[in-house]
Amino acid sequence: MQEAFEIINVKLMESGEKERLMELLRERLIECGWKDEMKSLCRAYVKKKGRNNVTLDDLIYVITPKGRASVPDSVKAELLQRIRSFLVSTSL
Amino acid sequence: MEISTTPRPCNHLADHKLRHGGISFYNTLHDSLSLSFNGRPTLALSSPSARCFSCSPSPHQERLYLCLICSSISCPRHALSHSRSSLGHSISVDVERAELFCSNCDDQVYDPDFDSILVRKFDGSSIIAAGDPYESVAERSCKRRRLRGHAVADLDYKRWKHLGDQRDKSCYPFGLRGLNNLGNTCFMNSVLQALAHAPPFRNYFLNGRHDRGSCQKMSSDQLCLICDIGVIFSAMFSGDRTPYSPAPFLYSWWQHSANLASYEQQDAHEFFISLLDGIHEKEVQSKPINKDLRDCACIAHRVFSGLLRSDVTCLTCGSTSTTYDPCMDISLHLGAGKCVSTGPVNKASKSNGSTGVSSLVGCLDLFTRREKLGSDQKLYCQNCGVHRDSSKQLSIKRLPLVLCLQIKRFEHSLIRKTLRKINWHLEFPFSLDMNPYLSSSIIRKRLGNRLSPLEGDEPHVSTEYEIFAVLTHTGMLESGHYVTFLRLGSQWYKCDDAWITEVDEEIVKSSQCYMMFYMQKMLY
Repeated sequence: MQEAFEIINVKLMESGEKERLMELLRERLIECGWKDEMKSLCRAYVKKKGRNNVTLDDLIYVITPKGRASVPDSVKAELLQRIRSFLVSTSL
Repeated sequence: MEISTTPRPCNHLADHKLRHGGISFYNTLHDSLSLSFNGRPTLALSSPSARCFSCSPSPHQERLYLCLICSSISCPRHALSHSRSSLGHSISVDVERAELFCSNCDDQVYDPDFDSILVRKFDGSSIIAAGDPYESVAERSCKRRRLRGHAVADLDYKRWKHLGDQRDKSCYPFGLRGLNNLGNTCFMNSVLQALAHAPPFRNYFLNGRHDRGSCQKMSSDQLCLICDIGVIFSAMFSGDRTPYSPAPFLYSWWQHSANLASYEQQDAHEFFISLLDGIHEKEVQSKPINKDLRDCACIAHRVFSGLLRSDVTCLTCGSTSTTYDPCMDISLHLGAGKCVSTGPVNKASKSNGSTGVSSLVGCLDLFTRREKLGSDQKLYCQNCGVHRDSSKQLSIKRLPLVLCLQIKRFEHSLIRKTLRKINWHLEFPFSLDMNPYLSSSIIRKRLGNRLSPLEGDEPHVSTEYEIFAVLTHTGMLESGHYVTFLRLGSQWYKCDDAWITEVDEEIVKSSQCYMMFYMQKMLY
């Protein structure tokens, strides 16, 4: 399972498809307001803890699970579809 | 509320810089700094699929840090152990984001010197030659003060409301007067109403800045559009409340815009632009000072002219070229309803595909969004020497005194191959802060969290606007009706040709806006 992931990952990167998918993902997440939501979560956390008591790692640790959970299904589906069609086209 | 201050530099960073020759500490990075696929600053490493040196097996990590001393690449965890094992190797750079990190502080750190290198490399406007013809902040603020000084007879609505007109029982504010429809001229009446209540514009005419006497002597038989506007405004502010017929003006305007001379329905925005154009031409005629459009002193430009900045980025090498264009208004596309999120994040406020509700703020966001141009629109890149796929981003370099926003409510229907009107409701605010759409804000967003002030940053310019007129259009593209809502003091008035009535702000909010006029808050 891990090897399959690795192979697909390498293929995606070499062809440049991964960059394109990342760009698409960024766009979609901004459009549906996910980015704004994460931003305000970060702000709230920093406000609560105090500006000088928060490090980058803290934020990542706290926000990542929330972010992962709130990605809209439509976005996930779209990306999966793109990856699938890419794999088909490179006949893996 | 917290006061935002620039973060204090970390001691380890200061230490490193001292030991390695100050700003030249960053020289090794300068060449690797480039723009990524999406136009954001990043580090271009020799091997695109860089991995953490210490991780084995090497999983692909999102965040990689490049040590500034020995150039080894580590993931966040190993960056920490690297700084412990090799003393003095605590400062690194986030490869993907081009941001500094200190392992000893275990946090992101900021340095104005580093940011200034980055900004200087990527801010398109910094490439402009020294002789760029746009005014300094000092000159512009002088101009503004001069304009305000002109408004000697500045009308205080509260004062006039009490004096009022004896004939008018309802004591409407001074200057409110209906305009008769002379045959499908609601497009003209609605624009005139809005202009008559834009103080910087109105005051020019009411204070006699355009001398009608000498103007008539100079151009004996020629009609003067500016004189005619002066006549209308004087009539509107005469105190007489009976509806006025702007027939001489209509005739005058027909002479100027022969192609639009008819009793057919016209587009209010087209009329607005042609009117400003006519004023400018007439002014330039009498005072042939061959100045750059940006510095034009005609009343139309002084009140409505702003400057738009357009950045075109080559998607291959990342170099950006910047151009500036003056504009008299901003035309906004209605946000097409795209994504409807189904998850816990439900942002129905911005755009909704099925009902087509949008907000003005959403439209402005769309206007300043980075747009990838189609492959059929490849532009020539100076750096690459060939035509390349590019992206374009608009932003506002200089805001006008009075901001006119037009909503593009017509689109080409691909099915019927005609123009059709988009009837979506647009939500708009009464108070608007244009700060996020300024060039300085847009570029700051693009380049990330950088400390150094960007070229041409003007922290003293006010970006807060208040609405004072809304032009609405009801009906279909070919046969509709224009009505203007005016806000005087805190009361809204509906100007429907000859009929003026007081209305609630809810009526205005729910109307189908077409053109909105905002004025700088300090003038309101």
